Amino acid sequence: MMDRWLPRWGAAVLHPYVICFVVVMVARAQEGASTSRSVWDGVYTEEQAKRGEEMYRKECASCHGDTLVGGGGAAPLTGGTFLSNWNGLTVGDLFDRIRKTMPQGALGKLTKQQDADVLAYLLSFNKFPVGKTELQKQVEFLKEIRFEATKPVAK
Amino acid sequence: MIMERVGRLKCLSLIGCVVACLGLPATSVAQWKAKDTEWPSYAADLAGTRYRALDQINAANFNDLEIAWRIKTDNFGNRPEYKLEGTPLMVNGVLYATAGSRRAAIAVDAATGELLWVHGEHEGARGGAAPRQLSGRGLAYWSDGKEERILYVTPGYQLICLDAKTGVRVTGFGNKGAIDLKQDDDQEILPDLTSGEIGIQSAPVVAKNTIIIGAAFREGMTPKSMRNNKGYVRGFDVRTGKRLWIFHTIPKKGELGYDTWLNGSAEYTGNTGVWSQVTVDEELGLVYLPVESPTNDFYGGHRKGNNLFGETLVCVDLRTGQRKWHFQLVHHPLWDMDISAAPILADITVDGKAVKAVALPSKQGFLYVFDRVTGKPVWPIEEKQVEAGTVPGEWYSPTQPIPTRPPAYSRNGVLESDLIDFTPELHERGKAIASKYHLGPVFTPPTESKVDWPLGTLTVGTASGGTNWPGGSYDPETHTVYAFACTACAEPIGLVRAPKTVSDMNYIAGTAGEEVTILRGPGENAGADSPMPPKKRSAGGGYVALNVDGLPLLKPPYGTISAINLDKGEIVWQIAHGETPDVVRNHAALKGMNIPRTGQETYNIGTLVTKTLVIAGDGQITTTSEHPRGAMLRAYDKKSGKEVGAVYMPAPQSGSPMTYMMDGKQYIVVAVSAGAYSGEYIAFSLPASE
Repeated sequence: MMDRWLPRWGAAVLHPYVICFVVVMVARAQEGASTSRSVWDGVYTEEQAKRGEEMYRKECASCHGDTLVGGGGAAPLTGGTFLSNWNGLTVGDLFDRIRKTMPQGALGKLTKQQDADVLAYLLSFNKFPVGKTELQKQVEFLKEIRFEATKPVAK
Repeated sequence: MIMERVGRLKCLSLIGCVVACLGLPATSVAQWKAKDTEWPSYAADLAGTRYRALDQINAANFNDLEIAWRIKTDNFGNRPEYKLEGTPLMVNGVLYATAGSRRAAIAVDAATGELLWVHGEHEGARGGAAPRQLSGRGLAYWSDGKEERILYVTPGYQLICLDAKTGVRVTGFGNKGAIDLKQDDDQEILPDLTSGEIGIQSAPVVAKNTIIIGAAFREGMTPKSMRNNKGYVRGFDVRTGKRLWIFHTIPKKGELGYDTWLNGSAEYTGNTGVWSQVTVDEELGLVYLPVESPTNDFYGGHRKGNNLFGETLVCVDLRTGQRKWHFQLVHHPLWDMDISAAPILADITVDGKAVKAVALPSKQGFLYVFDRVTGKPVWPIEEKQVEAGTVPGEWYSPTQPIPTRPPAYSRNGVLESDLIDFTPELHERGKAIASKYHLGPVFTPPTESKVDWPLGTLTVGTASGGTNWPGGSYDPETHTVYAFACTACAEPIGLVRAPKTVSDMNYIAGTAGEEVTILRGPGENAGADSPMPPKKRSAGGGYVALNVDGLPLLKPPYGTISAINLDKGEIVWQIAHGETPDVVRNHAALKGMNIPRTGQETYNIGTLVTKTLVIAGDGQITTTSEHPRGAMLRAYDKKSGKEVGAVYMPAPQSGSPMTYMMDGKQYIVVAVSAGAYSGEYIAFSLPASE
């Protein structure tokens, strides 16, 4: 079995189309690393934030509060501590944290789409501008959107 | 129960072998071991000092610190934890800590971080219903010279006794190594042992073979009922687990203080626990209990009267639990001031006279100082008239005790002069926000929230202000208390009528125009055994963000460390602690302005004092030209407050730092976590060589 597969795999690696694909992917990865978009570029829609608000009220508000300020020491989702926790990371990092740990006590209850909607609501609540396309639900794509606490000064 | 013995470093045995091979006399071993400096209790010692007279790490080399070892806590539970608040212990070369969403007890080699053993309790529904979940703040160590024991309390409120060498339960203690703290508590914990609300997250204390355990509850701003379980304090025999005594923090009929609860309200009112750290003077045989607020934090209409021993420092006998003296810091508590910090024992000299004192940092920014034998204030604490509120059904104390000395070390009221003032325009916008609230000095009472006015009372130095659970530290050489304080943690306190479907109280915390909901607290329903959360309903408007374009509503400093000399009752120095937040440093409206370091709005910073330094980490993440995204662990000259060094951490300090000396090397260990960074203990030490 191994004898048969090895030459085929080697041939595939060297195929011109494969080389071309790899070159394109590397280029896109490098582009991703520079993450050209930020939360100030209108990365969610109003409709999505509304869906997210509904879900937030059902699943998140009992701990984080109706006003997102947290409950006692429960993590605030607005204000200085929230902004400092995520400033310099990406929306994907925040999405990842939500996916890994929320809702507390019911991990995995929400779908990726619902989590993306909640995330849109958090951005909306924190006055990041609304846009024309929805936040996607793939963490890899969300990791290309920078979380910047302060609005970039126009150059 | 999971239990695994990963290994055990036989430090003393190993040292003995090496010494025997070298042919050194036994006294050499003793001398060598004597150089080790341990940290055997949560706050270093039972006096609550967080002090160690070490100076290998000092101003000249603090910047050279490097990470000696680190241990992530993700796998000590079935989900990662982002709120690691522990301070480990170090005894005999072994570091003990609580860790992870399981609140596991762990033992690691203090020199390398190698895991020696881990012990966790699967508590099922009981753990899932616990009001205080996650890893807690630590554990206690006890030894009689032969046996070594580790004691900690699970989220489900069981006291667990472990063999410190193996992590295995000590079967001769309690019921096979555990005591169900929901039983034998002079009350029936309601509604049942599984879901009955009571727990604790602080570390137990062991003094002269007595374990002392308090109690905590869920956040008390929005209770479902005026009736709740009570937070009594108990002492247990460390050898057998037998209950030795109990102190009723809400007096029973016939006990002193019962008559401070009008209309029999002592019978049904709950909470009033001791959730912060307990301090003990073993020599005097006295225990100092910092008692928290009664039900509910902001409305006391169902518990008229002064409410002893709510928000009272109580001194009890270590052997019997009998009250020796008490001093109520807040009559009829309405501000969630609690007593959040551990009392600190200090032998001081006032006007040439030696005083055995106890000093108490607080959320309200007063450092209360008493003779710890008699309970008499070292400097007068005067009953001052305070504003009476207007909330229907409430009962107000006409006066509150206010220390004459030392002066308040943290902002504890909000006036217009406290508002953001970087520019006149920002100040005007701050005033517009503040105008929606009732303002005033310390002890300005909560208001009923109204859509027109006021939304509530805008406070600071209440629920999350001043010094919170990390407490202060104390230098016994210079008789100086060091305490972090959040000076800009603004808290709007509004009260709304509670629908009967939500609470049987007349009022709970809320904002007019918003849905009335029950809030859960930090870590509640977050632990490894927690169930699904309840569903909530939609909300309306009324919310006001307490910031101006992201800038904090109150002016800097946002967080400080103060050095307060106890011989004189004076603030020696005060500095802003924590890098200026990115949102302030990079704000377009402040471009070109030279803004001194502001410190940070955070409430969980604890300090450590050594021979020469005060050490504390930043509580928020920043990115500056001097360091990448992260937080700094800072060292200050303890005499002047001048920063003398800083070392990078990947995440903010979330548990107070500790230090120890082992095999000739000093270590500093600190818990970090927040945001995307899950809990981790990091040990710093100096490089072996350049």
